[in-house]
Amino acid sequence: MSLATRLKPYATPITLALGLLVLAGLTDLIQITLLIRIVTVMFTSLILVLGLQLYMGNSGILSFAHIGFMGIGAYTSVLFSMTPAAKELSIPDIYPILLPLHLPFWPSVLVGALVAAFIAAFISYPLMRLSDAAAVITTFAVLVIIHVVLVHWGPVTNGPRTVFGIDNYTQLWTSTIVAVIIVFAVYFFKESRIGLRLRATRDDAYAAASIGINMVVMRWLAFIISAFIAGVGGGLWAHFITSFSPYAFYLTETFVVLAMLVIGGPYSVSGAVVGTVVVTFARELLRAIENYINILQVFPEGFFGFTEVVLAIVLILILIYRPSGIMGSREVGWPQWRRRKDDGEANNKLQEA
Amino acid sequence: MINLEFIINTISLGSLYAMLALGLVIIYGILRLVNFAYGELIMIGGYTMYLLTGFTPLPWLIVAVLAVAAAMFTSLFTELVAFRPVREKSLTAMLITSFAVSTLLQNAALLLISPRAKGVTLPQIFQTSVTIAGTDIPWRNILTIITCAATLILLLLLLRHTVLGIALRAAADNFTMTRILGVPANTVISAAFAISGIMAGIVSIFWIGRSATVTPTLGAPPLLVAFVATVIGGMRSLTGAVVGGFVYAILISLLGLFLPPELIEFREAFMFAIVIIILLFRPEGLIRSKTSVERVG
Amino acid sequence: MLELKNIHARYGAITALRGISIEVAEGELVALLGVNGAGKSTTLATVAGVLRPWQGSIHFLGQSILGKAPEQIAGLGISLVPEGRDIFPSLTVEENLRLGAYKLKDKTQYQHNLEEIYTLFPVLRDRLQQPGGTLSGGEQQQLAIARALMSNPRLLMLDEPSLGLAPALVDQIFELIDRLHQRGVTILLVEQNVDRTLDIVNRAYVLRTGAIEDHGTPEQLRAHVDIEGIYMGDRRRTKG
Repeated sequence: MSLATRLKPYATPITLALGLLVLAGLTDLIQITLLIRIVTVMFTSLILVLGLQLYMGNSGILSFAHIGFMGIGAYTSVLFSMTPAAKELSIPDIYPILLPLHLPFWPSVLVGALVAAFIAAFISYPLMRLSDAAAVITTFAVLVIIHVVLVHWGPVTNGPRTVFGIDNYTQLWTSTIVAVIIVFAVYFFKESRIGLRLRATRDDAYAAASIGINMVVMRWLAFIISAFIAGVGGGLWAHFITSFSPYAFYLTETFVVLAMLVIGGPYSVSGAVVGTVVVTFARELLRAIENYINILQVFPEGFFGFTEVVLAIVLILILIYRPSGIMGSREVGWPQWRRRKDDGEANNKLQEA
Repeated sequence: MINLEFIINTISLGSLYAMLALGLVIIYGILRLVNFAYGELIMIGGYTMYLLTGFTPLPWLIVAVLAVAAAMFTSLFTELVAFRPVREKSLTAMLITSFAVSTLLQNAALLLISPRAKGVTLPQIFQTSVTIAGTDIPWRNILTIITCAATLILLLLLLRHTVLGIALRAAADNFTMTRILGVPANTVISAAFAISGIMAGIVSIFWIGRSATVTPTLGAPPLLVAFVATVIGGMRSLTGAVVGGFVYAILISLLGLFLPPELIEFREAFMFAIVIIILLFRPEGLIRSKTSVERVG
Repeated sequence: MLELKNIHARYGAITALRGISIEVAEGELVALLGVNGAGKSTTLATVAGVLRPWQGSIHFLGQSILGKAPEQIAGLGISLVPEGRDIFPSLTVEENLRLGAYKLKDKTQYQHNLEEIYTLFPVLRDRLQQPGGTLSGGEQQQLAIARALMSNPRLLMLDEPSLGLAPALVDQIFELIDRLHQRGVTILLVEQNVDRTLDIVNRAYVLRTGAIEDHGTPEQLRAHVDIEGIYMGDRRRTKG
C-alpha cells in the first residue's frame, strides 16, 4: 500500500493543512505588513468558522451564540495574560481580586477557552431540548445577553470602552499552527462516532432516537466543544489586535463568520476553510474600495457599510442558487495528480484478488 | 412602587410587545420561519419618520401612516426578492437568508443615511401627560394601548370574518392542505408578510416615541423582545404571542422596579435567566397549542 | 380523464414509485389497493402536485399537470382528501367548508353546495360552529370529504377514508362513496379494506413496493389474486 492510500482517511485535513501552511509560508516570504495582518486575522477567523462548522455542520442547528463565546474567551484570556499594572491602567474599575491573576500566554488562552466552554455548558443545556426554531432563537438571545453583560460589566471588561495594553503574543505562525490543529480536530470530530451520531439526528431525529442516540447530550457536547474553539479563537485574536471593545463580538462579526461558513459550504470542513479564505480576501478588497470612496468624500456622512451590503447580497445569492456553498458538502481529497497513481494501485489490487 | 402610572406603563409596554410578537408569529406559524429581518422593519419605520419629519412639512398622522406603509412594503419586498426563492429549500437556508437580509438592511441604512443617530421630531402629544387619579400618565402610553388594542381587534376581524383570514389560520394549521384546496401559497405568504410589516410599523411609531432617535441598529432590541416573547408564549399560536408579550412586559417592569440600582443595567440578562428557567420546565412555551382531540367512534 | 404514465417518484433517497401507469375514465370509481408502503398515497400525492415525480407523465383532461403547483391542480378540479383527514383543527366546521369552496368557480353555488352537504352529512350541520379539532374521528372524516366536495370537483381522490374508524362508520363511508359514484363523481380511491372496496369499484389496481402488480375489474381480481395475500403482503399471486 502506498503512502497515499494508507493516509487516505486523513487526506482532507492533510490537504487543507498543506494549503494553509503554503499560504502562511508565502505570506511570510513576501513580508508585506498588510498581508501578514490580513492572513494572521484570517487564521483566527478560520478557527471561529471551524468551531461553528463543528456544531452547525453536524447538528444541523444554527447557532448565533458563537461569537459571544469568542468574546468570553477574549476577555478572560486577557485578564490572565496582562500584568497587574497593565490591568489597572486599562480597566480602572477592575475588581481587586482580578488584579493578581497572571499566567503566561498559552495557559491564558486555555483558561479563556475553558471559561467559554463552561459557560456554554451551563447556559445551553436547557436549550438543547427545544424545538429547532426555538433553539435558534435562544442562541440569538444568548449572543445578545453576553453582549449586554460585556458592555455593562465595567469592573471586568471596562464596559463599552476599549481594553488596551494587551501584549502582541499572536504572530502569523501562532495563528497558523493553531488553525491547522483545529482543522484536524474538527475533521476528526466529524468522522468520529459522536459526529456520525449527531449527523444521524440531523437527518432523522426519530430514527436516531429509536436506535438509542441521545440527541440532547450529543448536541450539548458539540455545543460545548464549539464554544471552546471559539474561546481559543477569541484569545488568539485578542492578543493580535491588542485592544478591543465588546462591540467586536456582536452582530457584524456573527454575520461575517456565518457568511464564511455558508459561502464555503456548511457541511464540510473544507467548506469552512475555503469560505474563510475567499470571504477574507473579498472583504479586504471591498474594504479597500470603501476606504477609497470615503477619502474622496463623495458621501457627506461617510461611505460605510458597503462591504457588509455586498457580502449580504452575495450570501443571499449563494443561498438561492447554490445553498450547499462552494464546496457543496464535499471534502477535498488528495490533489488530482496523485489520484491517477492511486487508481493504478487499486487496479493492481483487484487483479491480485 | 406599583401605582397607577406603573400599571398603565406596563400595560402599554405589554400591548406594544404583544404586537411585536404577533408580527413575528404570523410568519412563523405558516412558514416556520423566524424572520431576523423583522427588527429592521421597525428601523425602516423609524427612518421614514426621520426623513418625513425632518424634510417635509407633513402632519404627524400622515407621517405615522407612511411609516407603517414603508414597513409593510419593505416586508413584502423582502419576501418577494429574498424569501420566495429559498422557500422551497431548507428551513435553515431561509433562516440564514433572513439574517442576511437583516444585515443588508442595517448596513444599507448605514450606507445610505448615516452611521450616526438621527433625531425624529415627535408630535406634541407624545410629550404631554394627563392627570388621572392624582398621577401623571403620559399620553403616549394611553395612545399605545388604544392603537394596539384597535389593531388587534382589526386583526381578529380579518382572521375571523374574511376568507383571507380563514386561509391564514388554516395555513398555520396545515400549509400544504390549504394549497391542496386551491389557496395560492404566494397570496397567503404575502398577506402574512404584509401583516407582519404593519405590526412592525405600528410598533416603530411608539418605539421611536420613547426615544426620539433612530440608528441603523435600532432593530436589534425589539427583535430580541419579539423572540423571547414568542418563545415564552409558545411559538404556535397568536394567543401565545400576545400572552408572551404581556408576560415579558410585566417581568421586565418588575425587574426594573425591584433590582438594586447596580444591577438595573443587567435587566435583560436577568430576564433571560427567567426565560431559561421557564423553558426548563415548559420547552413548548406557556400556551399549549391546540391539539386535535379525537373521540373514539 | 386522468392518465399516469410510467411515473417514478422519490422521497429523498427512497424510491417510492417505480413506473406506475394508471387510467381513470370519467365517472369511474377506481381503487388503488396494496399494503402500507406500496406507494398508494404517494401516487395520489404526485397527482395532487404535492410530490414531483422525476420521470413519467400525468395528464388530466388532456393537459399535462406534471410540475404544476398543488393550488393550480386544485383549480383544474382535482380534490384530494389525504390520509389522516387533515382537517383544520382550529377552524370551525363551517370555516373548513368555506375553505373547501375556495376554488369554487361559481360563488352562487356555495349555499346550494352547503345544503347538499347537510343532506349527505347531517351531523356536520349540527356541529357547524365547533372547532374541527373537537370532532370525533368519524365526523372529521365526513368533514374532510364534505370539504373536498364543496368545490364540485371533477376528480375526487380519497386516501384511506375508512382508516381508524369503527365498523359502523366504515359501512357509512363506503355507502357514501358508492352514493357519490352513483351521482356521477369520478373517484380515485386508496384503501386497505380490499373486500369492501371491490364491492363498489369499477376497476382496481394492486400496488406492491411502488409498482403495479395487477389490475382489472373486481371479478377478475377476485378470481386470480389472493385477497388475503394482499393483506399479508404475500408473494403468492395466484390461487390454488
